[in-house]
Amino acid sequence: MQIVLVGFGNLGKGLSRTFIQKASFLRKSYGLIPRVVAAVDEFGAAVDEKGLNLMGLLKAAEKKGTVAAYKGGKRGKLALKMIDNVEADVVYDLTPTNIKTGEPGLTHIKRAMLAGKHVITSNKGPLVVAFRELDSLAKRCGVEFRYSASVGGAVPVVDLAKKLLAGNEIREIRGVLNGTTNYILTRMSREGAPFELVLREAQELGIAEKDPTLDIEGIDTACKITILANSLLGMNARLKDVKVVGITRVRPDAIRLAQEAGQTIKLIGIARRGSLEVGPKLVPLGHPLAVGGTLNAVTFELDLAREISITGFGAGPKETSSSLLGDLIDIHRTLGG
Amino acid sequence: MELEDVPGQLLKALEPISRFGGNIQSIMHQRERKTPLGRLPVMLVFEISDRARLNRILAALRARGVRVTQLGEREGAVRATALLIGHIIHTDINDTIDRLNALKGVMVSDLSLAMGDPGKESTARMTITADDEKRAKLAISNLQRIAGGKKLLMITSLEAG
Repeated sequence: MQIVLVGFGNLGKGLSRTFIQKASFLRKSYGLIPRVVAAVDEFGAAVDEKGLNLMGLLKAAEKKGTVAAYKGGKRGKLALKMIDNVEADVVYDLTPTNIKTGEPGLTHIKRAMLAGKHVITSNKGPLVVAFRELDSLAKRCGVEFRYSASVGGAVPVVDLAKKLLAGNEIREIRGVLNGTTNYILTRMSREGAPFELVLREAQELGIAEKDPTLDIEGIDTACKITILANSLLGMNARLKDVKVVGITRVRPDAIRLAQEAGQTIKLIGIARRGSLEVGPKLVPLGHPLAVGGTLNAVTFELDLAREISITGFGAGPKETSSSLLGDLIDIHRTLGG
Repeated sequence: MELEDVPGQLLKALEPISRFGGNIQSIMHQRERKTPLGRLPVMLVFEISDRARLNRILAALRARGVRVTQLGEREGAVRATALLIGHIIHTDINDTIDRLNALKGVMVSDLSLAMGDPGKESTARMTITADDEKRAKLAISNLQRIAGGKKLLMITSLEAG
């Protein structure tokens, strides 16, 4: 399969490493040979129709900060050109999330679909801004559209529900969907340390971003709840439909009082038809959603299976490449490969 | 109940309760108020899921010579816990409790408070006991409204929705 990688940050690099590591496994198990024919970042592009040398690509990007440093690479804003003109089966959009406009990912995805290319993305922005539009555009263009990595990182939330639980009616989805806030709440509960201190340490460790607003105000979780509501509950939800409360007012005292009653506090996203919500909730200790550290967890409430919960790593380049690669294999199989 | 004033009697009374699945909430042991026959009055509060189990406990207590003098029941009591964060005292915690207690079949049964530094926000854990699920839900939604008016952050339990 010929692949165009748009976005070569942590996720693009992580996926490339996984392609290298898994090359013979993919060929033997699935007859799948992923060939990255173009890689694009904000400074330029590297192209080779015979397939880029991914080791060389990683080295060039590490050294010079752009894929344009690869042998024969070009500088400039080249994403749309590559998407339109390079012959490929699949376009990965791994660009940074913009929850207001969805750009640049939104345009990348649309152009790829219009060019008849299947799309895999980790980018929440386009999914939050234009889920229905993209979903129907994919159908109209006859291409596959996958976004497993946008919710839950390595945790196969979307596919678990869509494929393995396909016979169920989903009544409710509840989840710990943001590793940063879960890390902060976990540290606060274990050490009784105040929010601001733990946040600062999380920033130093690279777990929280310099501007942590999207995480700690619950907006990142709200994005994921919006995506799940659209993709799994068949809703036409926007971010503004989610009632959001963050964790900035949660104090160590509150967690202590919760613990004395056998509970803990988690930032939980809840999606049920007609009601989307994000906020700190009391969760019984030992409950499937009472996961620690940066873990993510999701519980589905279903008519047949009743309750199914799943836990795993919600972030990290290697972990997320599990979902990104899974989507590629899934498309490969869907197309009869 | 009344127990003989010799060692091991309280344990004897508690054993059948836990054996039949009772969840003991409180024990009041009043040593200074002995009965004329020299027995000790003890008040026990426990939760039990059904009447058959309660009868088994009562029979086991009788068989052990424990005298049950008074039996009160609250059927199907439902408890709900919520945390409140904010200026809890300054926004009149008494008023908050009174407004919940004014609801029929609803009672604020427990309150734990962690005071913040002067001028900073405090935290309270409130347990509401209600006669049934419906009343508990009503109490929680009332508390939500009160908390909203007083600019308190209310954290409900996952199951409360």
